[in-house]
Amino acid sequence: MIDETAAPAAAPQEFRRETMALVIGVAGWLVPGLGHALLKMWGRAAMFFLTVGLLVFLGAGMRGNVFTASGNDAFDSLGYLADLGTGTFYLVARSLETNGADVSHAGGDYGTRFLATAGVLNLLAALHAYEAARGRKA
Amino acid sequence: MNAGLGFKVSHLQSMLLFALLVSIAFGFLSRRRPIDRVKYIVWSLFLFLLIGVGIGWAMYPFSR
Repeated sequence: MIDETAAPAAAPQEFRRETMALVIGVAGWLVPGLGHALLKMWGRAAMFFLTVGLLVFLGAGMRGNVFTASGNDAFDSLGYLADLGTGTFYLVARSLETNGADVSHAGGDYGTRFLATAGVLNLLAALHAYEAARGRKA
Repeated sequence: MNAGLGFKVSHLQSMLLFALLVSIAFGFLSRRRPIDRVKYIVWSLFLFLLIGVGIGWAMYPFSR
C-alpha cells in the first residue's frame, strides 16, 4: 500500500535541505572555508581558508593584476570572474595592492595567476561544500 | 609585512609555492583520510614540478 503522507512531508524537508545547501555554498564562496566550517568539516575549512588566503596574499604581494569590472577585453572579464571567486578576499587583494599591479616583471605575472587560481579553488571548495550539504559523499 | 612593497620571488620559488598550495587544496578537496591526503598531495606536487620543469625544458630551444 502506498504511503500517501510520505510525499507531501518529504517535499518541505527537501526544500529546506536545498536552501541550506545553497546558503552553505554561498557562505563558502564569500569567506573561503566557511561553507565547510558550517558543516563542521574543520580540517577542510582551515585548509581552504589558508590556501586561498595565502594565494591571495602572495598574489597581491607579488603585484599581480587584480581585475576590475571595467575590463578592456574578454580576458580581463574572465580574470575578473576568476578573481571574484575569492569572495570577500577580492576586497582584501584590492586593499593589499596599494601600489597597483606591475606585470612588467615575472613576479607580477605569477601574482596574477595566483589570484585567479585562488578564485577558482575557492569556487571548487564552495561547490564541494554545497554538494556535501546536499548529502552527496564528500 | 607591507605587501605594497612587493615580494621578490624567483620563477622556481613561484612555481614551488603555487604547486604546493594547489596540491594541498586538491588533497583536502578530493581525499577524506589523512594518509590518502598526504599521498595525494605528494603525488600531485611531484607531477606539478615534473610537468612544469618538463615544459620549461621543452620550450628551451625556442627561448632565443
